[in-house]
Amino acid sequence: MLAMSGSSKDRITNLQAAVILVNYILAAGILTLPRTSVEKVKTPDVWITVIIGGLITMIAGVIIVKLSQRYPEKTFYQYSGEIVGKWIGGLLSILIIAYFFTISAYEVRTMAEVTGFFLLEGTPTWAIIMPFMWIGLYLIIGGITPLARLFEMIFPVTIIIFLLVAFLSLGIFEFNNLRPVLGLGVIPVLKGIKTTALAFLGTEVMLLLVAFMKRPEKAVKVVLIGVTVPMVFYVITVVMVIGALSIDGVTTRTWPTLELMRGFEIPGLIFERFESFLLVIWIMQIFTTFTITYYAAALGLSQLLKKDIQPFIYALLPVIYVIAMIPKNINDLFHMGDMVGNVALLLFAVLPLILLLISRLKKGGKA
Amino acid sequence: MKQNSDPEWFTGDFAIDLALVRNEIGHNSDVHFREFHIGGTDVCAAIIFVEGLTDRELIDKHIIKSLMMSFTGGAVSRDFITNRVLSIGEVAEEQALKSLVAKVLTGSTALLIDGLPNALVLGTTKEKSRQIEEPVSEATVRGPRLGFTETLCDNTALLRQHGENASLSFMKLQVGQRTKKELVIAYIKDIADPDLVEEVKKRIQNIKADDVPESGYVEQLIEDNYLSPFTQVQNTERPDRVFSALMDGRVAILLDGTPFALIVPVTFSMMLHSPEDYYERWLPSYLFRLLRYLAAAISLFGPSLYISFVSFHQGLIPTKLALSIMGTRDGVPFPAIIEALIMEVTIEILREAGLRLPKQIGPTIGIVGGLVIGEAAVQAGIVSPIMVIVVALTAISSFAIPQYSAGISLRLLRFPAMFSAAVFGLYGVVLFALFLCSHLVKLKSFGVPYVSPIIPDRLTNWTDFMIRMPLKKIKRRMKPISANGSTRKK
Amino acid sequence: MNTQQLRRLLCSLSILILLPLAGCWSSKEIENLGFIVGTALDLEKKDPDHNGHLLTVTNQFVTSETIGSGTKDGKTQQKAYKNISETGDAALPTLRNMILRIDKRAFAEHSKVLVIGEELARTLNLQQTLDFFIREQEMRPSGLILIARERASGTLESKNLVDIPAFQLIEMTQGHDRTTKILPPMTLTKIQGKLQSGSSFLLQSVSSIKGEIKFTGAAVIKGKTNKLSGFLNEEELEGITWISGKGKGGLVRSFDDEGLPIVYEILSMKSVIKSHVDGNRISFDLIIESEGRIAEHWDVSEKDFENGYLKRAEQASVKEVKRLIRNVLNKMQHTYQADVSGFGNKLRIEYPYVWEKVKKDWDQTFSEVPIRCEVKLTIKDYGTSDH
Repeated sequence: MLAMSGSSKDRITNLQAAVILVNYILAAGILTLPRTSVEKVKTPDVWITVIIGGLITMIAGVIIVKLSQRYPEKTFYQYSGEIVGKWIGGLLSILIIAYFFTISAYEVRTMAEVTGFFLLEGTPTWAIIMPFMWIGLYLIIGGITPLARLFEMIFPVTIIIFLLVAFLSLGIFEFNNLRPVLGLGVIPVLKGIKTTALAFLGTEVMLLLVAFMKRPEKAVKVVLIGVTVPMVFYVITVVMVIGALSIDGVTTRTWPTLELMRGFEIPGLIFERFESFLLVIWIMQIFTTFTITYYAAALGLSQLLKKDIQPFIYALLPVIYVIAMIPKNINDLFHMGDMVGNVALLLFAVLPLILLLISRLKKGGKA
Repeated sequence: MKQNSDPEWFTGDFAIDLALVRNEIGHNSDVHFREFHIGGTDVCAAIIFVEGLTDRELIDKHIIKSLMMSFTGGAVSRDFITNRVLSIGEVAEEQALKSLVAKVLTGSTALLIDGLPNALVLGTTKEKSRQIEEPVSEATVRGPRLGFTETLCDNTALLRQHGENASLSFMKLQVGQRTKKELVIAYIKDIADPDLVEEVKKRIQNIKADDVPESGYVEQLIEDNYLSPFTQVQNTERPDRVFSALMDGRVAILLDGTPFALIVPVTFSMMLHSPEDYYERWLPSYLFRLLRYLAAAISLFGPSLYISFVSFHQGLIPTKLALSIMGTRDGVPFPAIIEALIMEVTIEILREAGLRLPKQIGPTIGIVGGLVIGEAAVQAGIVSPIMVIVVALTAISSFAIPQYSAGISLRLLRFPAMFSAAVFGLYGVVLFALFLCSHLVKLKSFGVPYVSPIIPDRLTNWTDFMIRMPLKKIKRRMKPISANGSTRKK
Repeated sequence: MNTQQLRRLLCSLSILILLPLAGCWSSKEIENLGFIVGTALDLEKKDPDHNGHLLTVTNQFVTSETIGSGTKDGKTQQKAYKNISETGDAALPTLRNMILRIDKRAFAEHSKVLVIGEELARTLNLQQTLDFFIREQEMRPSGLILIARERASGTLESKNLVDIPAFQLIEMTQGHDRTTKILPPMTLTKIQGKLQSGSSFLLQSVSSIKGEIKFTGAAVIKGKTNKLSGFLNEEELEGITWISGKGKGGLVRSFDDEGLPIVYEILSMKSVIKSHVDGNRISFDLIIESEGRIAEHWDVSEKDFENGYLKRAEQASVKEVKRLIRNVLNKMQHTYQADVSGFGNKLRIEYPYVWEKVKKDWDQTFSEVPIRCEVKLTIKDYGTSDH
């Protein structure tokens, strides 16, 4: 019976893989990216920085894919041991698992902060976080296929609503705020690359995803598409936000993208303000990021210990919750984000390259 | 082989056999025994039949008359009787009492003849069928005015009649452990996935129920997830709907005694599609389909959005609208959630009441009750006029869904949506939507993901989802359902 | 499907039903809110035993009662709004004191307009005054900012009982499409960039004369101090609109040789500022192009059909526009020493490195910069009359 194919044989199409990647990358960053990048760059050329950041991420992603392709049908947790030995491989896997559930906690907390601030003033953070996490739990118990399908459902909604609100905000867009292009040379542009590259965090999921793909040989294309779409999103966001708020206005705002949406009214429509739309798709995006990282962490534990995934899914839930509740205020939260970002830089930009080289030298995997 | 001593078997001795039958069903007032002598001889014979189930004219003219007329040549033998005397189509032999009784009770006539070891069973069933009418539960403006009836063979005939198709296959099964009923699995041999047909058959054979009065029983006993609020088996009264589902590679289940056929597997979008979509030109169909999706969204989230905007996010509605809502809600003693609950429950009661009332006054009560109660509630200051509008809009939207059972699911889900909106406002609505989506993506109907066309394997499947492209452009059959013949047209 | 799953379902169902009872932390019913639709900020002159400044915050409330009285039964005994003032030394504590005086929960998400009194704008840095309003997430960032001549609270009063002055102010700014005497709206969102950048800018000014609200020119906010340094009158504001080229409609009234008025109606307007840097010398070219029509002229003897007359009319209008521009440039460069019409911005775009050097003292530098001005008007038609 076609239904009864076991979860171990779960396969996703390349389209689904690309959508997962896009949904994973688009997350908390979209609300803060204009501020964090402008703080570093200080000229209106931020959008160039975003594009460069995206390109760098693509390269990192391609390296990860190349590494994973050498070990077909295996995730990083399974093949890392083959490259660097059981113990180091295990350690690396644990690091990555820790990274995944920290990210997932970070995303949940950011969501709770923004929701608590803009939509539900007065509702305790735990009350916002808990139902969100339960739903995530309910989803990922089904394995990667439902996950991929849900992402595919959310993706078009995100695109349509995002483009709609971006288009509506044209009313307060001032082109002069984006000029001059490269007025102060390329140096400022380069200063922000780390920040923008971090906004593209997410290609690391290819360490696992390639193993689930029906046609893993096309994984490079998946990475290219999967990074390009968020890049377009980010460029549009940065351009619209700076165009409306100007460089000087962006730096003082905690959530500049929301500020943009709150900054205009279109009378005569059913809605006058559109930040709710943005928040809705943003919450959905956080949900996708949360579930995929949550699943990645649980999958890691189950593959590392060679046990069934279900108990790990349940066990990780309180862990993520506790981590999410650690930051005391919003500055702590941003620090946590920076920290995770730095770790990610090491883990997913440098490490895969080294592993790929070692693997080549040892002629491991499928040459 | 023959066990004369066993009381369950016929002996060939007319008196004993007749007594046997009499003993078994003779106490029933509707079972008639007619004893007579065959064609001028002294051979005793009897026919046994149930009044009302049988065709009296057939019995009188073709059985009794033929047998009692003196016939020329030949002795009274089994072959002679069946081949020369009885002028009816269906004749069978029966040795055992139990099976004979079963046949008699479904409308056949038993013929016992002295000296013959076995009883003869003559097909004299009178089809108690009503006229084929337009289906009541699924009215359409355009399309065939045919609906299934309660008679299984009429229904299969309707499908055959739809068009000549040698691959249209019927598989007959029996369900019910005490009361046996006939059931037919219909599919198109070279389109439907053989695994799917096998799975359907397996699940039906596994049904353990004394009696299966309606296809709803079958539906509930074969569905994948009984906890889900969504129906995983579609029911319909329309042969054209069944046939188009068959052509998609689905499987239909027809049960004797009910006009409702079942279609599996079901995907979410089927709930919002109507066969009419394909009969009208694509542009209006496309718009109506979009409208239906909108209606589904309103009927699901209407009141919860109202609650979240009025109780939580007053800043998100236009100022003038906010002011007018504020003005109308002045003096309403309840928070929005209670207000919404009162009105929603009232309208559900009205709807329920309207269903049970006679056809002529049902709708009237609904309208009068709705209008009067709504108006009075506003006058009394219990609810605000805006709430009445929202509730009315929601109710009407749920009527716009072509499938009654799908409408029920959405009506049901409206209440948890309202609760979650009452706790978390818009965030609650988003959470509920996420939960619903999570549930939908996990749900499968006979192995096919419930959300199939929404989430396509290939983009071409989208040509017939929320948008309906011109027929010329819909080429592909829905991939996940059929294994073979993925192109719709040659 | 097993009992475990059923149990789980029951659990989640009970949670769903119990949560609304325990929860609803953030819910607030709409009829219990008092919408703040406008806010006026004033500085108290008398400052008895207080070393800091005393602020008076006047909020314009619209509540379910005021709305009801405005619409129901046509009886308009009561005002459609309710102004409440409170004095204190910072915005929020003052606002919170209002709780003591109103039965509704103040709700600012529909706050449309923020009027700042002249006195307050002159004495305090706008950045400080507005801090709360920018920080508070309940405030609508799309709210407008206006500067009142004299007291701001006066602009939130109306003689007419049904009108809500805050809404009137908003609707009046939309007139910016049809006249050159109103500035494009400045919202809280936009003002932050201006305040941060340290450049001077203009805010629409409004005055209340005998209970009637009127837009009167613009207020000049100095970039360095973020304080009000003076006002431009309506005529000067017209000059500003011409320089920025952002007007969408309006009139130019000039006189022909015989002293009879010719009215030029603007159909489109475009201005280009070009910056030139020659060594240390900065200069600007201002090129203005406009198309329009003759809306009114009193000289009955002239024929519009003749191109000669159109030329003369154009020239008269050009002269007038030039006069307006010269007038306001003079005021900007010499009276206020503040660049409020985007010359600096142009320099930033065209000569970013030069700008980095001069931006600190730009207003000072600007006052000595030569500006050449060129105006070109084209009369496209003359309505339906040709006399």
